[in-house]
Amino acid sequence: MEKLYVNEIRPNGEVSTVGLFYSYEEAEGIVKKLQELPEKRSCKYEITETPPRSAAITPRREKQQAEK
Amino acid sequence: MADPVLASMVHALGLETARHYTAATPKIQAYRDSWVKLAKFRDGPVNLQQVEVSDPAEITKQIKTKAMELGAAMVGICRLQPHMIDLGEDLPHEYVIAACVAEDYEKVIHGANAVEEEAMRTYAKCTEIATELAAYIRNLGYPARAHHNGGSEVQAIPIFYQVGFGELGRHGSLINEKYGASFRPGFVTTDLPLAEDRPREFGVQDFCMHCNVCMLNCPGDAIPKDHVMTHGIKRWLIDLEKCYPYSRLRDEYCHLCVDVCPYNVKPHPETYKTFMKERKQIGYKTPKSW
Repeated sequence: MEKLYVNEIRPNGEVSTVGLFYSYEEAEGIVKKLQELPEKRSCKYEITETPPRSAAITPRREKQQAEK
Repeated sequence: MADPVLASMVHALGLETARHYTAATPKIQAYRDSWVKLAKFRDGPVNLQQVEVSDPAEITKQIKTKAMELGAAMVGICRLQPHMIDLGEDLPHEYVIAACVAEDYEKVIHGANAVEEEAMRTYAKCTEIATELAAYIRNLGYPARAHHNGGSEVQAIPIFYQVGFGELGRHGSLINEKYGASFRPGFVTTDLPLAEDRPREFGVQDFCMHCNVCMLNCPGDAIPKDHVMTHGIKRWLIDLEKCYPYSRLRDEYCHLCVDVCPYNVKPHPETYKTFMKERKQIGYKTPKSW
């Protein structure tokens, strides 16, 4: 089976992984449902075959400390 | 079958359903039947004589006490947010109450079916609690719907986190400092004005970065080394294609990832020691009852 990651890209550039899916049909179906939600209208979505690099994304706790 | 990954794997094997579901012991089947029977009582008419709530903290105390009297080990409350609702479902309630029942960790010594029976026992108890709690709230004059194995429109993990039950572990289950990951939930969504609990962090995610015991014991190598981030929280995405051959496509349950988790140790140090000695002797990646 294919392994596909759906990532949500917020207006501030933060990347948040929605989940791991096993077909384009399933992944695209999830993206479509998310795009229908009013609170997600400003978000973009990407479907990738590899997970986003953990280190490239700032965990919340580190981000909070950096903001202090 | 709602799970497309499992449906695809079952179809590829020429089966009608997953072996795990058809090979249930009579006890397990009785528990499954119990939540099917209670499904029709998830929602119902609301008492027209509404109790006035002037102090949400006071009514919250009353609701939590009621849930504990019904058999819950933990009760938490938060506002119902969109990411807590199943995609495509509409749930017009303001709050969600999570009521959890703890599993008896000692069952790990008695094999896979004992663990599965205990899991189903707790799910059945959660179903009773959620059903009765929803009816209790409707009797106060507020809409309330129970969510359990017999029917649900909510996502457990985001609610667990928000009500402060604990943090998400590497094995994909939420870890509480008292019960580890050995607990099961029932939920009630409602418009009854309630006081909210808050998320709590006590080092689980940092611990999971270095522990790896679940990953090293998983017979299917389904637990990844690397994590992703979802809204600032680390998630280790379990590979279901690797998990299901052991957890769904065999007659017996797996559940090893949670059973070996060191956060289960505190109340059961001797059981954990015995269990882990057994794991070492038969080979860490050997499934239960092999």
